[in-house]
Amino acid sequence: MNTISLLTGLRFVDSFFPSGGYAYSSGLEAAVQGGAVRNAEELSRFVVESLTTGIGEREAVAAGLAHESFMSGLLDDSLKADRELDAMKLGRESRTASRQMGRQVIRLAAEQNPRHPLLEDFLAAVEAGHSPGHMAVSLGLTLAAAGWSKEDTIAAFLYQTATGFVSAAMKLMPIGQREGQRLLENWLEVIERVSQKAAHQRVLQSWSPVQDIYAMRHSRLESRLFRS
Amino acid sequence: MLLPVDSSSVLETVGRRGRLSYEFERAGPRTILTRSSCTSPWHHFPPSYLDDSGCAYTWLVNPSGGLVGGDHVSVEAQLHAHTHVLMTSPSANRVYRSLSEPAVQEVCLSVGPGARLEWVPEVTIPFAGSRFRQSIHVDLAPGATVVLWDAMASGRVAMRERWAFAAVENEIRIRTPLGGSVVERYRVVPGRLPESVGLAESWDYVAALFVIGDGVNAEVWKGLEAAIAVILDEHPGLVLGAVSTPAAPGLAVKLVARSAPDLTVTLEALWAAVRKYLWNLPATNLRRY
Repeated sequence: MNTISLLTGLRFVDSFFPSGGYAYSSGLEAAVQGGAVRNAEELSRFVVESLTTGIGEREAVAAGLAHESFMSGLLDDSLKADRELDAMKLGRESRTASRQMGRQVIRLAAEQNPRHPLLEDFLAAVEAGHSPGHMAVSLGLTLAAAGWSKEDTIAAFLYQTATGFVSAAMKLMPIGQREGQRLLENWLEVIERVSQKAAHQRVLQSWSPVQDIYAMRHSRLESRLFRS
Repeated sequence: MLLPVDSSSVLETVGRRGRLSYEFERAGPRTILTRSSCTSPWHHFPPSYLDDSGCAYTWLVNPSGGLVGGDHVSVEAQLHAHTHVLMTSPSANRVYRSLSEPAVQEVCLSVGPGARLEWVPEVTIPFAGSRFRQSIHVDLAPGATVVLWDAMASGRVAMRERWAFAAVENEIRIRTPLGGSVVERYRVVPGRLPESVGLAESWDYVAALFVIGDGVNAEVWKGLEAAIAVILDEHPGLVLGAVSTPAAPGLAVKLVARSAPDLTVTLEALWAAVRKYLWNLPATNLRRY
C-alpha cells in the first residue's frame, strides 16, 4: 500500500471522520446498566466475543464481500451483502446506527477524486432506498477503492468497532485512557486473526446472543448516554 | 445460506431420509388437511381441533425419539389462503452423539394470502458430541403471518451436560412478499477455542421468537412490542430477553433462560400475548402434559 492509499483510507477509519460513531455504544450501555459489564476484564470478554463470533463473522464478512465486489466490478455482490446484513441485524437501533454511519461514509467516498463509478452506483442505490447502506459494506467498498487489501479493510473495520467500544466504555465505566489503550493492544491479535479468517468466508453468520439481547434492550433504558 | 448437504452414498447408507409434507386449505370456518405424505422416521398424525377457532393443530411426530448423525429429515407445508395452522411437536427434539456426519433437519413453509402459521416446536437438545444442522425457510404471501419459535438447550442439563455438543448450525429465513427478510444464522462450536460459546455459556437455553407479517396494523405491533417487553422483564436473573423491530414488518425476540421451567413459562406468556394482540384468540392448550 502506498502512502496516498494509506492516508485516503485512514481518513474514513479515523475517529475524526464525521460518521457519528461516537453516539453509539453497540449495546454496551445496556450491558453496563444490566450489570453484565462492570470492569475492564468483563468489557474485554464482551468485546472480544463480539469481534470473533458476532460482528467478526457477520459485518466483517460483509466488509470482505464488498471489497471483493469492488475489485471484481460487480456491484450486485455488495447489494446482496448489504441486504443480508440488514435482514440479520434484528435490533432496530443497531441496524439504524449501522445504516447512518454507512451512508456518511459512502456519500463522502463517492464524492472524492478520482471518482469510482462503482461507489457512485452504490451511493445511488442507497439514496434511492434500494440498498440499506450499512457501515461494513460502505467501508469495504471505500477502502477497496483506496487500494487497501481485503484483510486490511476488514481489520480496519474491526479496529474502528473496537475503538468505538473503548470510547463508549470510558464514558460508562471507570476506565481511563491508559486502560483503554491496554485493552486495544490486547485486541490487536484478535483483530488480525479474525480478519484473516473473515476474508475467506462468504456466508454471514453471528453467535453473540447475550450481546444481541443487550443491544436490543437499549431502547428501553430509562436514562441513556448513547443512541444504541 | 448453509452449506449444501452432502448427498453422497455415505448419507444414504448411514442415516434415514424422512420427509413430511402437508397441504392445507380453508373449508368454511375450518382449516383442513387436503394432502399429506410422510416417510420414516416421521409418523403421520391428522390435525386436531382443540378449540373453535378452526385452527388445525398439527403434531410433528418422530416416534424414534430423536436424530442421529446422517439423518436427513425434512418438513414441508403449504398453507393456502386464509388457513390457520399450528405446528408443534410432542416432545423435545433430541440430537444424539455423532462422530462425523451431522443430523440435518430442513423445514420449508409456504404461507398463503391472509394465512396464519404458528410454528412452535419443543426445544432442541443437542447431546454431548452431537452435530446438528437445521434450516427453517418461510415464504409469506401478502397478508400472511408467521409466529416462529426456535429454542435450543445447552445439552442434557439434568445430567450436568452443558455446551458439550460438537456443533450446531441454524438458519432461519423469513421472506415477506415485498422482498424484505428476517434472517438468523449461527454456528456454535463449543470446543472451538478461543471463541467457544461466549457469554451464553452461563445460560442453559437460547431461544428466538419471530412474529412477521405485512397484514398487521402498526398500532397492533406497537402494543404487542410493549407487552412482550414487560413479559421479558418478569423473571429477572432467570430470563434475559429483548424485543425489537427487524427489517421486515413484525417483531423479533431473543432470549436466554436459566432453566426449562423459566423458558416454558416465558414462551407461554409470549405466545398468549401474540395470539391476543394479533387475532384476539386465547392462549393454546396443547394438552401435552
